Amino acid sequence: MTPEFILGCIILIVGVIAVGFPRPKTYLSRLISLEIPGFGLLLIMLAYDEMLALVTFIGVTAISTFVLVRAIERKEAAQ
Amino acid sequence: MDVAYPAGLLVVAIGIVIGFAALVREKDDLHRILLTDLAEVLALVLIALVATDLAEALILPGLVVGISELMAVSEVYIAREGLRAPKEPAFRIEVMESAPGILALILVAYGIFLSGFTGGVVAAAGAVFYFICRGHAEQFELIETVSGYAWAIWIGAFFIFMFLPQYWFFAVMMAGGAILLKVMAKMSLVGTMRGGPDV
Repeated sequence: MTPEFILGCIILIVGVIAVGFPRPKTYLSRLISLEIPGFGLLLIMLAYDEMLALVTFIGVTAISTFVLVRAIERKEAAQ
Repeated sequence: MDVAYPAGLLVVAIGIVIGFAALVREKDDLHRILLTDLAEVLALVLIALVATDLAEALILPGLVVGISELMAVSEVYIAREGLRAPKEPAFRIEVMESAPGILALILVAYGIFLSGFTGGVVAAAGAVFYFICRGHAEQFELIETVSGYAWAIWIGAFFIFMFLPQYWFFAVMMAGGAILLKVMAKMSLVGTMRGGPDV
């Protein structure tokens, strides 16, 4: 039980609650909250020295944010 | 380690319960797509808790499958709802007008210097950044043709490794340059996702 692991677990739970029940329930607030459990996952990977997985996750998160922003942008424009 | 694994499993179980409770109560489809991304993070934590090289080997394909799945689902959603790209850009940022040329040039030059797979990724990041910020008017058939020739050169380099091992350095250079072109051509397609005339 390293400090990174404990912190990662706490951030993960907080992040899951933040994404599941965002307060102003908009797409953008939920998308921004998605970064919080991502950081929990990164800390847990850091605790177990999974460097390659960590770096790949950062890169994939950037692309997935872009994909989601594209869908959200079009949805907001249609409304 | 002994305590960490059950503790981590408990945390993930709580997370899955909360996540699925939110997913069941959600009616809007785009919100559901966002929650699917959360479910993917929880699944990755579950794999990461294994804490060996096996975990790392399982996370990498999991990430790739996850991103392609997300791309496909969001594309289906956009097509089904009949959503169109907004006429005017949502916001104008001055940096996005002036910076892309310089940054893309630096990234592409550094990528060519690195060569190989890593170089391809770095150079492609420059190309993607440029396309996203500036838009694009290239003939993508040409880029695909280059990518096809690069693949042939890459295979040729492997034949040199097999049949003429004394020329290994030449083959390394060939393979490094070809894979650079290949990765860059493929990844720069990501930058065209805003749509355009030639895609």
